[in-house]
Amino acid sequence: MGDTMREFLLAFLGSFTGAILFNIERYNLFWAGLCGGIAWAIYKFLVLFSGRAIYATFIAAVFVGLYSEVMARRLKTPAYVFSLPGIYPLVPGIMAFDTINLLTFGKLEEGINKGIETAATAGAIAFGILLASNFYQVLDKLISETLNKKTKK
Amino acid sequence: MEVKQVVEVATKIGELLLSSGAEIYRVEDTMRRIGAAYKIEIESFVMPNGFSATGKTSDGKMITCVKRIKDRTVDLHKIELLNDLSRRIEAEKLSYDVIVKEIENIEKLPYFNFPLRILSAGIVAFSFTQLFEGTVLDAFFAFIITCVIYVLKEKIEKFGFFQFFEYFISGFLAAIFALFVNNFIWTVNIDKVIIGSIMILVPGIAITNAIKDALYGDIVSSLARLGEALYIAASIGVGVGFALTLGIGWVTL
Repeated sequence: MGDTMREFLLAFLGSFTGAILFNIERYNLFWAGLCGGIAWAIYKFLVLFSGRAIYATFIAAVFVGLYSEVMARRLKTPAYVFSLPGIYPLVPGIMAFDTINLLTFGKLEEGINKGIETAATAGAIAFGILLASNFYQVLDKLISETLNKKTKK
Repeated sequence: MEVKQVVEVATKIGELLLSSGAEIYRVEDTMRRIGAAYKIEIESFVMPNGFSATGKTSDGKMITCVKRIKDRTVDLHKIELLNDLSRRIEAEKLSYDVIVKEIENIEKLPYFNFPLRILSAGIVAFSFTQLFEGTVLDAFFAFIITCVIYVLKEKIEKFGFFQFFEYFISGFLAAIFALFVNNFIWTVNIDKVIIGSIMILVPGIAITNAIKDALYGDIVSSLARLGEALYIAASIGVGVGFALTLGIGWVTL
């Protein structure tokens, strides 16, 4: 538990400072960092329980998508302000680097495996975020339409 | 406003959006909406490294503009401001002079200052080294190495080498510094230190965004971005590999 807490704080710190490098508005920094921290905690938790990293990444990305849509509505900023720092701990940048590194040292088979893992992780994140945010937007539209109808009656 | 002015303003905003790292569909959508505010139909074809846009009035006047984008960074604050500006243009139908002045303001705007960005780059390295199971000591050295690399990268960018050189040299230096620390200062997990200190360089976000573009249906730009991300990863990987190969020979000597 203490270890999870430590990792949550580290991921928070990483996303927070990553958000500074992405140049986001000062008063959104905390919420962007929180997004990254929670996403990493969800990822770690699911990896621990299911042992399937890509599945865990997908669920974490779905969370990031929903969180950033809700926060975007609350704080009146675009959703990517939260989603980009939020996925920062999850994205397979180091994995892509590992792929190339393995290939340059002649370990072709391991390199190709890593490459496929990289593609799968990136796909899981992109699909998770898009799914969540589109789902949220459609749901939001439906709710506001039905509310409008009721008020007209 | 005339067609010429509308197309000029729209493409200027599109250019700024694209060079700040906005998604393809956002650039196309923004330009179309700005045109629509002045009853001009703007059709555009946007790729990651440039675009062409044509404005057409109802009486058949047409004007086309091609823009080439050289360097792209991620600057979410700029995208946000440009988004607000395009909303305002849509709602209030601002005049040409006002829009040009607003764009100038947005272009100039510095946000976080350089020392703060160096420090944040360092802290990114510090926290991710530990997330990738390095020790606190590894993280501390990664912090220092990243700060140095970040400054050097900014300096190298100004010299005008070819585009991927800065990634190559940053990866190379990260590995060299890690080897130096390991051999002369303190024994560390070299691979963890290297991974942590190149965290700010690796194209994780770029790969994810490329797939996002594909899911939106912009296949061409998705492939272009994916290619760019792969070349960046390759430059860093080759840089690190080169340094490690040198280092191994040098240690055993």
